[in-house]
Amino acid sequence: MFDFLGIPPQALFGQLLLGLINGSFYALLSLGLAVIFGMLNIINFTHGAQYMMGAFGAYFLLQYLGIGYWWALLIAPIVVAITGIVIERTMLRWLYKLDHLYGLLLTFGLALVIQGMFRHQYGTSGIPYPIPDALQGGHRLTFMFLPNYRAWVIVFSVAVCLATWILIERTRLGSYLRAATENPALVRSFGINVPRMITLTYGAGVGLAALAGVLAAPIYQVNPLMGADLIVVVFAVVVIGGMGSILGSIITGFALGVIEGLTKVFYPEASNTVIFVIMALVLLIKPSGLFGRAASQTSAVEHGGASAAGDGGRSALLFLGVLALFFIISPFFIYPLFLMKAMCFALFACAVNLLVGYSGLLSFGHAMFLGSSAYVSAHAAKVWGFSPELAILTGTGASVVLGIITGALTIRRQGIYFAMTTLAFAQMIYFFALQAPFTGGEDGIQGVPRGFLFGLFDLHNQVTMYCFVFAIVFGTLLMMYRIIHSPFGEILKAIRENEPRAISLGYRTERYKLMAFVLSATIAGLAGATKAIVFQLASLTDVHWSMSGEAVLMTLVGGLGTVFGPVIGAFIIIAMQNYLAQFGQWVTVIQGFIFIVCVLAFRRGIMGEIANKIGKPL
Amino acid sequence: MSNDVILEARDLTKDYAGFLAVSGVNLSVRRGTIHALIGPNGAGKTTCFNLLTKFQQPSRGTIYFKGQDITSYAPAEVARLGLVRSFQISAVFPHLSLLENVRVALQRQRGASFDFWRSKSALDAYNARAEELLEAVGLADARHLTAVELPYGRKRALEIATTLALDPEMMLLDEPMAGMGHEDIDRISDLIKRVSANRTVLMVEHNLSVVAKLSNWITVLTRGQILAQGDYATVANDPKVQQAYMGVGHG
Ligand SMILES: Nc1ncnc2c1ncn2[C@@H]1O[C@H](COP(=O)(O)OP(=O)(O)OP(=O)(O)O)[C@@H](O)[C@H]1O
Ligand SMILES: [Mg+2]
Repeated sequence: MFDFLGIPPQALFGQLLLGLINGSFYALLSLGLAVIFGMLNIINFTHGAQYMMGAFGAYFLLQYLGIGYWWALLIAPIVVAITGIVIERTMLRWLYKLDHLYGLLLTFGLALVIQGMFRHQYGTSGIPYPIPDALQGGHRLTFMFLPNYRAWVIVFSVAVCLATWILIERTRLGSYLRAATENPALVRSFGINVPRMITLTYGAGVGLAALAGVLAAPIYQVNPLMGADLIVVVFAVVVIGGMGSILGSIITGFALGVIEGLTKVFYPEASNTVIFVIMALVLLIKPSGLFGRAASQTSAVEHGGASAAGDGGRSALLFLGVLALFFIISPFFIYPLFLMKAMCFALFACAVNLLVGYSGLLSFGHAMFLGSSAYVSAHAAKVWGFSPELAILTGTGASVVLGIITGALTIRRQGIYFAMTTLAFAQMIYFFALQAPFTGGEDGIQGVPRGFLFGLFDLHNQVTMYCFVFAIVFGTLLMMYRIIHSPFGEILKAIRENEPRAISLGYRTERYKLMAFVLSATIAGLAGATKAIVFQLASLTDVHWSMSGEAVLMTLVGGLGTVFGPVIGAFIIIAMQNYLAQFGQWVTVIQGFIFIVCVLAFRRGIMGEIANKIGKPL
Repeated sequence: MSNDVILEARDLTKDYAGFLAVSGVNLSVRRGTIHALIGPNGAGKTTCFNLLTKFQQPSRGTIYFKGQDITSYAPAEVARLGLVRSFQISAVFPHLSLLENVRVALQRQRGASFDFWRSKSALDAYNARAEELLEAVGLADARHLTAVELPYGRKRALEIATTLALDPEMMLLDEPMAGMGHEDIDRISDLIKRVSANRTVLMVEHNLSVVAKLSNWITVLTRGQILAQGDYATVANDPKVQQAYMGVGHG
C-alpha cells in the first residue's frame, strides 16, 4: 500500500469519507437556506433547529409509533415542513415589508425557543438511533472499510441536491419560482398565487433541513443542540459560496466538507476553524462569494429603526443622569455584584447599539470582542501580574486589533451578509478560545486577581470595585453620547439615511462604517475586560454566539437606536437570567420568546416607545 | 483629447443580461458649458449618469474626466475629483434638518468628518455658508425643518444646494426640476445659469423650454444610443429627433 505524506491511507480515506458526509449535510442545509433566501429574502436562523427536529422526528416515530427509518425519511421532513408552514403563515409573513434583519432576529428567537424546549426535555446527551437493517455492515475496499450507511447518505444527498437543482433550474415550477422572486406582480398577473408559493417554498426549504436531520440521526445521534453550532458553519458555507446560486451552494457544501475532513488528517488543530479561515480569504478576494453575483455598490442597507432612531439631545443626557443616580443608590438595596454585571452588559449592549442603531450594521458576532478582551485582560492580570487598569487596557487593546482585522474583512458585506459574516468570525474566535493553550479550555481562566487599582486601591473591597466599574461604564456611556453627537456621528447618520447620496458627495462610506465598527469593538472589549476583573473569570460563555445574540436582544428590548435604551434592556435581561436561573432551559425559551415578541410587535423597544409617547428622541 | 473637453466617454455600454441599456455612446462635454442629455423615458439617460459617475460599472468603454481615465474608480473617488451627481429620485438625508443636509457636504470639503471626540457644535462654523446656499435656492426660511417635511420640488432644491456646497467643477443633474412649480423652475433655472459661470453642467431634463433656455449643447439618446447632437436649433430641426422624440409629446 501507499503512504501519503506519512499519513496511513485508512486515516486519510476515513476522514475523506467523514468530510463527504459532513459536506452532504452542509450542502443540504445551505441549499435549503438558499431556496428560502431566494424566495423570502430571509436568512432562516431556525434552520439548525429544524434539522434537529428532523432527527427527533425520526426518533419519535421509532420510539412511540414503531415506524422505522425508511418511513421516517419521508414522514419526518413532511411534519417538520408543516411546522415550518405554520411559522411562515403566523410570523414570517408579517416581516416581508421590513428590513431583512428582522427576519434573521425572529428566526434566531425561534431557534432559541425550539432548542431550549428540546433541551429541557432531553438534556444534552445524545440519544442513539439505529442504522436501518438494510444498510448495516459495509464493504472492505482495498484501502478502507466503507460502511454502507455512510455510502447511502452521500449518494442520497447528492441525488436530493441534484433533484432540487433540476426542479429549480429546469422545470416550469422552478421558472415561476425564479420569476416570482424578481417580479411578484407579474407572476401574480399570470394567475399564480404568490403568497402560497412563498409559504410552500419555506416549507420545502425546512423539509430539506429536516431530511438532513433524519440522515444524520444514525451517524451523530439525536441531540437537541446538534444543529446549533452546525448552522453557524453553514452560514460560513453560504458566505463562501455566495447566496443566490443553487448549484453553487451544493458544490461549496461538498467541497468544504472534504476540505474540513482533509484538515483533520493533516492539521487537526485547525479542523474546526478551517472553514472560517477560508471564508476570510474569500471575503478578501471575492467579497460576493465564489458563485455570488456582485452586489451593486449602491445597495444601501435600509435600516429598520432609522426613523425611530433619534440622536436624543438633552433628554437622553437627562435620562443618563437618572440611570447614574439609580446605580449610585441601588447598591444599598440590590446585590452589588449583580449591579456590576448589569453595568458591564449595559456597556456591551450599547456597543452593539452604536453599530446597529447608528450605522445600520447588525453584528451577530460581538461576543468575540467581549470574550477575547476578557481572556486577554484575565491573562494579563493573572499570569503577567498587570495592575487591573493595565490589564483592562491590554484587553481592550486586543479587542481593538481584532475589531480592525474583522472589520476590514466584513465591512464590505451589507445587511444579512454582514450579520452572517460577523457570526462566523465570532465562531472562529470561539474555537480558538476552546483550543488555545492560555485560555484554559472548558474551565476558562479562573481566580483572576482583582489587584490594586493604580497600585493603591484594593479592588477586593466591593465598594472600591463598584466605584471603579461605575466610573468606567458611565464615563464610556458619556463618551458614546459624544460620538453620536460628533462631526463623525453626523456623517454616520447621513450614511445611514442615504448611503448613495453620501457616496455621491465624495464620502468613502466604508471607512466610516469601519471606524464605527472599531469604536464599537473597543467599547465591547472594555466591557469584557472589566467584567473579567470584576468576576475574576474569563470563560467560553463570553465568546459563544449565544452571547452575541443576547447583546442584540438587550438592544432590541431597550430600544434600537435610542442612545441609552440598551442599558435598560441589559438590566432587564440580566435580571431575568438571575432570577429565573433555577428554571434552567426555560430562560433560553423565554429569551427566544421575547425576541419573537419584540420583532413582531414591539420593534421600537422600551425607550423607543417612551420616546414615541413623549414625542422626543431619547 | 482637446483641452477644453472636461468629460469624455468612449464606447460606453451597459449590458443587462443581453439588454443594452446604453450602447456604444461616445460623449464629449466641453468645459464651461451646460450640456443637456434628453430622450424619451427608458432611453438610458439615468444609466449613463450611473456609468459616468461609476455608481455602475460599464460593461464596455472608457471614461475620462479632466484627461484622467476614471473607468476603474470608485464612485466616491469620482466625486472627490470634482464630478458630482444628483439623483433622479430626490436624494436628501430625510431626518436631518435642511441646514444639516448642506453641512454634510460642507463637512466633506472642509474636513473634521472623522472627529468622533469633538462636539457637533464644531460644525456651527459651517452655518453661515450653509445658510447662503439655502438662500440661493430659496430655502433660507425653512432651514430648521427636517428634510422629510419638504414638498417634493423643494427637496430637489435642497439637493442642488447640497451639491453646490461641494463647489464641484462639474455637476450631473438628473431631472433637477421634475416635480417643481413654475416659480421654482424659474428660480432653479436662473440658479443653474448663474452657477454654471465657472463650472460645467450635464443635465437630464424633460422640460424642453428649460433645455432651450439653458443649454449650449444637446445630446439626444434613444434606446441607449445617440440619435443626434448639436445646439437646440439643429437638434429641434432634425427629422429623426422629431420623429423619435418630439412626437412622443414631451415638454
Ligand atoms: N438594473 C436593471 N436591470 C435591467 N434593466 C434595467 C436596469 N436598470 C435600468 N434598466 C433598463 O434600462 C433602460 C434605461 O433606463 P434608464 O433609467 O437609464 O432610462 P432613462 O432614460 O433615465 O428614463 P427616464 O426618462 O424614465 O428616467 C430602461 O429600459 C430600463 O428598464
Ligand atoms: Mg432617468
